[in-house]
Amino acid sequence: MSSTTVESTPSPRDAGSRTRRTGSGTSAGPGPTFLRVLNSEFIKFRTLLSTLILLGSTVIVMVGFGALSAWGTGQFSQAATRDPQAAARLAAQGGDLAVGVPTSGIAFAQLILGSLGVLLMSSEFTTGMARSTFAAVPKRLPAFAAKLVVVVVTSFVVTAVSTLAAGFLATPILGNYGLNLDLASSQSVKMLIVNSIYVAAVAAIGLALGTLIRNSAGGIMSLVGLFFVAPIAFQLIPGDFFVEARKYLPGNTVAPLTALDHVPATLEAWQAGLVLGAWVVVPVLLAAFLLKRRDV
Amino acid sequence: MIEARGLTKVYGEKTAVDGVNFTVEAGRVTGFLGPNGAGKSTTMRMIMGLDRPTSGSVTVNGSPLTRHTAPLRDVGALLDAKAVHTSRSAYNHLLAMAATHSIPKKRVRDVIEMTGLAEVAKKKVGGFSLGMGQRLGIAAALLGDPQTVILDEPVNGLDPEGVVWVRNLVKYLASEGRTVFLSSHLMSEMAVTADHLIVIGRGRIIADAPIQEIITGKGQRSTRVRTDQPDRLMQLLAGTGVSVEVQERELLEVKGLDPRQIAAAALENHVMIYELTPLQASLEEAYMELTKDEVEYHSLITTGAVPVEAGGK
Repeated sequence: MSSTTVESTPSPRDAGSRTRRTGSGTSAGPGPTFLRVLNSEFIKFRTLLSTLILLGSTVIVMVGFGALSAWGTGQFSQAATRDPQAAARLAAQGGDLAVGVPTSGIAFAQLILGSLGVLLMSSEFTTGMARSTFAAVPKRLPAFAAKLVVVVVTSFVVTAVSTLAAGFLATPILGNYGLNLDLASSQSVKMLIVNSIYVAAVAAIGLALGTLIRNSAGGIMSLVGLFFVAPIAFQLIPGDFFVEARKYLPGNTVAPLTALDHVPATLEAWQAGLVLGAWVVVPVLLAAFLLKRRDV
Repeated sequence: MIEARGLTKVYGEKTAVDGVNFTVEAGRVTGFLGPNGAGKSTTMRMIMGLDRPTSGSVTVNGSPLTRHTAPLRDVGALLDAKAVHTSRSAYNHLLAMAATHSIPKKRVRDVIEMTGLAEVAKKKVGGFSLGMGQRLGIAAALLGDPQTVILDEPVNGLDPEGVVWVRNLVKYLASEGRTVFLSSHLMSEMAVTADHLIVIGRGRIIADAPIQEIITGKGQRSTRVRTDQPDRLMQLLAGTGVSVEVQERELLEVKGLDPRQIAAAALENHVMIYELTPLQASLEEAYMELTKDEVEYHSLITTGAVPVEAGGK
């Protein structure tokens, strides 16, 4: 990385040592293809300490909550063997509590990685970096798509890896209470994949919000509003409309997608998948459209 | 070559750039001079495809930057020393920029050396002084070895050594046949750097000419005259297009007549003149003259005759 030997101190002369071009026409040489822009965005992503802090925090929170949840679930199931009320509650939840333990920190992972999505674009505008970015890629959309790929893939991988890590930590704790967690079971795999896709989707929504709002605090608060405030507010407002509308909030799509069987008064899995997809596609397309049109 | 045709930018009620036409030719340093708020930066952002013109167009080498296949290799720009993420190091900033065009790491190290940033390249840009920020911006502009170089107020915040360095750099780049477009609100800097000058005021082009022509032509020449009969001489010289200003009791400044005409009038009417000095307007005066009606933010003028520098960051 560091320059090893001092090269014969270049002077301004080096600026144009290669060619002498005059007149019109565009110059030869590689331009910004999607893969190059993706590489550039990945360099930008990994050279910020804040990115690494957010990714690290996600892992810590996921693993920490997995361990706590394993302990709490164990305590609860022990109580259930003695307390008929607790047993009834346990039965009402479909029996297998252990399978949800590795993803119990997901609400926080989505907030952290969703914020990462916001920051990835809003910081471009708050720092002025956007002028450099879009001067190098004046078509703009490749840079947006590259950021989308970077944040979606990273969020998926980090969520999946930390879910696995949480699972490995939770398995022996649950075992102490006689509960079995099989990480290779189809339901465990489904939980891992659906939740990782979900968090990746939240990160994509975050990126879209950051692009639309161009302000870090505003973008993160919109995200919090959509994922934390709206579900509660919809529950408090009386009326059938809000009961119905609540089902279509992005945060309420995970339960139907991971349910063993369809639970009455919730969306079917395929409906939930479409709703979550729409929550990603609409803001992302709107953000892309406006990014292309607006002044930087 | 940069060509603007009917280029206009309107922000809400305010017209920042008002239908300007100009051509920036290759092989010379073209200065873009105007008071703050005149529309220089807006014009440059439109060249870079960052701001969309309300109407009209601006092209680089014949096409808008958004249609270029390798923009960084065609046009390098320093638009704002702060167009960098403050938490990233200078090296990583340039590395990420370079990656978009597969520009090798060697070139990144070269522009770092060239701009004198080697010692601070691994430090976060947030801690940079304005001068170092300018150097980083220039490094980024040169990264793609571009045919066209656009620098918005590049000497802002530079130390004297840096100012001379930028001056030599832009002259060298132009001598290689590149198009160099340089903005400033400092006429003194333009006088020693630019070959050609485009003067803008309130979004309109006021002058577009070789620098020598602007100094000698546009700035109205005047003549200093000392006489013991100033009132009589003023009567004699009065006419259309002639203005006479009384500077001291026996000292007049005459515009609109050359020294020979003044001397002839005086001789004919037996008025003694004991000084007759042709005055050449400095670029500064020419600039003030050109922009006096176009300054967006007038400073409060305290003494009538002293020109106040228009703006200044």
